[in-house]
Amino acid sequence: MDLQEAQTAVTRILHDASSQFQRMPGSAIILRYIKSSYQNDPVRSAIELFLFLFAVRYMLAPSYSTQKKVKLSEEEIDELVDDWTPEPLVAPPTSFEEMETEKRAVIVGPTGPKSKLSNGRTVTNLASYNFYNFTSNESLKEKAITTLRTYGVGPCGPPGFYGTQDVHMKTEEDVAAHLGTPACIIYAQSFSTISSVIPSFSKRGDIIVADRAVNFAVRKGIQISRSTVRWYDHGDMEDLENVLKKVTKEQAKKPLTRRFIITEGMFENIGDVSDLPKLVELKLKYKFRLILDETWSYGVLGRTGRGLTEAQNVDASEVDMIIGSLSGPLSAAGGFCAASREVVEHQRISSASYTYSAALPAMLSTTASETIALLQEQPEILTGLRDNIKAMRAQLDPRSDWVRCTSMVDNPILILVLKAEVVASKNLSTQDQNELFQDIVDECLVNNVLITRLKAYPLAQGVHPRDQGWQPQPALKVCVTSGLTKKETEKAGTIIRHAITKVLKARK
Amino acid sequence: MPARSIYPFATSSPTSTPSLDALNEKREQPRRTSFTKGNKFTSLFGGNSPRTRSEAAALREAFVAQQQALLDSPSPSSKPLPTINLTSASDEKMSTEQKTLFQPSEIEKERRLARAHAQFGPLVSEHHRYVSKYEGEFGDPIEDEPPYYFLLTTYISYLILIVFGHVRDFFGKRFRKAHYVHLAERDGYAPLNSDFDNFYTRRLKMRINDCFARPITGVPGRYITLLDRTSDDGNYTFKLTGTTTETLNMSSYNYLGFAQSDGPCADASEQAIRKYGISMASPRADAGTSELTLEVEDLIAQFVGKPASMVFSMGFVTNATVFPTLVGKGCLLISDELNHSSIRFGSRLCGSMIRMFKHNDMRDLERILREAISQGQPRTHRPWKKIMVVVEGLYSMEGTMCNLPALVELKKKYKYNLFIDEAHSIGAVGPRGRGVCDFFGIDPSEVDVLMGTLTKSFGANGGYLAADKEVIQAMKTQNAAMLFAETPTPPVLVQIASALRIINGDLVPGQGEERLQRLIFNSRYLRLGLKRLGFIVYGHDDSPIIPVMLYNPAKMPAFSHEMLKRKISVVVVGYPATPLVSSRARFCISAAHNKDDLDRMLAACDEVGDLLQLKFSSGVAGGANPEEKLSQENGALVKSPPRWKLEDVIKSGVEDVQFPLR
Repeated sequence: MDLQEAQTAVTRILHDASSQFQRMPGSAIILRYIKSSYQNDPVRSAIELFLFLFAVRYMLAPSYSTQKKVKLSEEEIDELVDDWTPEPLVAPPTSFEEMETEKRAVIVGPTGPKSKLSNGRTVTNLASYNFYNFTSNESLKEKAITTLRTYGVGPCGPPGFYGTQDVHMKTEEDVAAHLGTPACIIYAQSFSTISSVIPSFSKRGDIIVADRAVNFAVRKGIQISRSTVRWYDHGDMEDLENVLKKVTKEQAKKPLTRRFIITEGMFENIGDVSDLPKLVELKLKYKFRLILDETWSYGVLGRTGRGLTEAQNVDASEVDMIIGSLSGPLSAAGGFCAASREVVEHQRISSASYTYSAALPAMLSTTASETIALLQEQPEILTGLRDNIKAMRAQLDPRSDWVRCTSMVDNPILILVLKAEVVASKNLSTQDQNELFQDIVDECLVNNVLITRLKAYPLAQGVHPRDQGWQPQPALKVCVTSGLTKKETEKAGTIIRHAITKVLKARK
Repeated sequence: MPARSIYPFATSSPTSTPSLDALNEKREQPRRTSFTKGNKFTSLFGGNSPRTRSEAAALREAFVAQQQALLDSPSPSSKPLPTINLTSASDEKMSTEQKTLFQPSEIEKERRLARAHAQFGPLVSEHHRYVSKYEGEFGDPIEDEPPYYFLLTTYISYLILIVFGHVRDFFGKRFRKAHYVHLAERDGYAPLNSDFDNFYTRRLKMRINDCFARPITGVPGRYITLLDRTSDDGNYTFKLTGTTTETLNMSSYNYLGFAQSDGPCADASEQAIRKYGISMASPRADAGTSELTLEVEDLIAQFVGKPASMVFSMGFVTNATVFPTLVGKGCLLISDELNHSSIRFGSRLCGSMIRMFKHNDMRDLERILREAISQGQPRTHRPWKKIMVVVEGLYSMEGTMCNLPALVELKKKYKYNLFIDEAHSIGAVGPRGRGVCDFFGIDPSEVDVLMGTLTKSFGANGGYLAADKEVIQAMKTQNAAMLFAETPTPPVLVQIASALRIINGDLVPGQGEERLQRLIFNSRYLRLGLKRLGFIVYGHDDSPIIPVMLYNPAKMPAFSHEMLKRKISVVVVGYPATPLVSSRARFCISAAHNKDDLDRMLAACDEVGDLLQLKFSSGVAGGANPEEKLSQENGALVKSPPRWKLEDVIKSGVEDVQFPLR
């Protein structure tokens, strides 16, 4: 084939192509557009054509990983596999951890205001959340046994698959009626409730504004939700307002997302309470939803133990979700989320620890119903406890030169931290403080009083301590119970105060 | 048996019903007063709406009815109760109590026995036992495929449902705005559920909502008592009718039948409440560690064959809090794609990199391992600090077991840490009920961490971890649930301890063995029967979880309703718990069932299978017809769809269970 033939072939193909192109509907418009817009500038047309082709190539290119992989032969991989030595599964325990394990109190027999420990001592138990001494209530026991004999122990299934028993529905109604919310949902464990409630509503891209000092479970819930988090200083309503203002401003141009304020009613690690009327005011003003963790205030605050809403005279329906605990003071087990019907029903299918976990044992559910009824029937149970709290505080807070109590007056858990001047004058690190408090706990135990330390948030493996975020200040935890008389409480308080003085004086 | 109306009983005073024995009478009374008290308060404190009140009343009525139902006749079968009780698993203490308290009349005795049998069926014949054994080679169960017609109709069904849902939404949003307010922005608040995410729930799940979360009362044992309910607003809300229906329980995770309100476990729990109280009211790390806790931990460690263990008050939380102590930044966690939600929850909290391998696909796992070890961490290419492989012992939706022999083999080569979640397999699998290690005959020391729940086989609640001493010690100082969460309560702990002792043979010798062998027999018998009838069944032969494939979405509610009509409660699951096409019904077998129950189940499945066109197996997964079994033995590979007659299935089932289910 000579050049001539090839040329005619090319011309013919070009001619055919152009006639085909012209036969296409709308081709004239495209031609006219190209001619007019580029004014027959061939260079510009060429560049744009090049760009167009590049875009096509880019679109058609197979997706590739951003991670560069080193190409290795099978033998090389085998060698690398042989060479690789993993770290041991857990690091060896530190001496402090070993001591903690060794000293962990083991209770023999029933728990109560006076408990027997495995070392043979009978101690005044100021470490349990047995505030009302319901654990020793015989009629509660009888009722639990009746339930046991009707329902067995476990419900043998998640609530969604034949695990919802009539007693659960009854407890849900009881809690809702107690709080005055339209609906309520019962979880099988209190600790996991809030960690699961938060991610079932707040998703990636949503905004959470949370108090810096929220407890570990809330923190984990926030972490798992993958939402954008803003922290405000603990209990600082001005700072909260600033953060809310800032968030609202930042988000003004963006599509509307869900926004939550998450805080605790009564703080697990500090013991003080939130200013609920102000929180409600701010949430309404900036259009946030309020998730209130009342794990430590439900059953404790208010005239009938309804929690912070009752104590501060706020209608429970003003709070979007109230999370509380049926374990601890109520002497049963499980947690709840009280809210509107819509919020509750959503959790029944999308809250992980409700959907994918077995339901609460029936007898614990009925016990919770019973204790809630007791609190409502006999508010003097609560006032009795408050007298004891007052007696205990009088022994510790104003009288001690070393510690102060950060808990609010009605909180039966007295959180005692070292005074700032003590920490400064003795130059104590966090670890030092923990060790000191452990010594105090041991000293108290020698005198037959069982108290505990506040536990720091455990760090995940591989996390550097500087990335840990807010940590509770080391503290002593003294849990008052109405199972003791005022005299006994005062006596225990004196022992604790003396132990503090003894240990801290010994420290140079 | 028709659902009994309870109104006649509800109006009469509770005390006027003749009580069975002095003990019961004493117990029932305070309970009832407590309930009325609760209701008074329900109405006092805010719950004034008529809805609440009527529901509470319905609840109370249902409760009374349930009591009555249990007394009347707990068994839906009209057969007379067997006179000879071969089982040792029923109420042991009964005889002594009868002697000490009073001499009950024949009728009362019979009623008490009937009540016990409603929770744990008597063994019909000593032949109905099977000792679980591993044949020496792990084969992935063969998964049968339905004809294309069913796959196609499944897709079309979903398409219709989705299109119809959108049409309803289109008109609904315009004409019934009130029903959609929660999905739209409201005075500056974003909706709590997005319209898109909520579509599936609103338009698909809502249609079959009555098949889920059916409320129950009483013990979820051999039979389960449902509270009847109706809905007049398209399953949006339900009203309790006040009647109850007693059904055969094919739904609860009650593998060893320990869900009992009588018998040694319940007796021990009662003692525990009297002696130890109901709750410990404190986290483990403060003052929540009881002698019982330590005792149970020792028992569990011995039971699973690990040096140490620790217990938690919830199975979900065990998984949700375990990983941060074990793996973290710079570590790789390789997880089976079908792992439970709690494992996903926990692994997301630990900060390590997560990769998934195809379900039970050891080749895929090895590929990932080779790539991970040779390439190191992404970007930095540093070697991984640790690699942990997380699998489940028995998968709750598939009924498959993990390939432990291969995992241990790979572990030797690739030096990873192995974590097995035995939530469903502990107690239910293996000749001695000690889980997958027991089943495959592998030393538990080959596995680094064994996790399990105490809810399923032991009729209690909670979870456990078992591992080496150092690992457990690290857990006890660093685990969040140990530091902050409530402890398992004394009655629950004692239930666990006595269940473990029964399986061990320390308590009521022979009963544990009977439970284990009955469970495996029942599982194999029903599985073989279903295969022979022509159903597509997933899972391993010895697994007590039997998923039966339904495919078409509309068959889920249909199957559930048809079974309920026949007084059997089953669980149906569809997307998103399973892949879109493979909707299924799941039967959970229990040692509390006996052959009569399973025959009843097979008969019901046979009828419903014909009615709903569910028999579409091709025969590759077993259940071959009798004539073909012969030719198969001669080496020929002819497979025709097995469609046995019910009588033949029942006739030859007991013998054939002893052989591989082909």
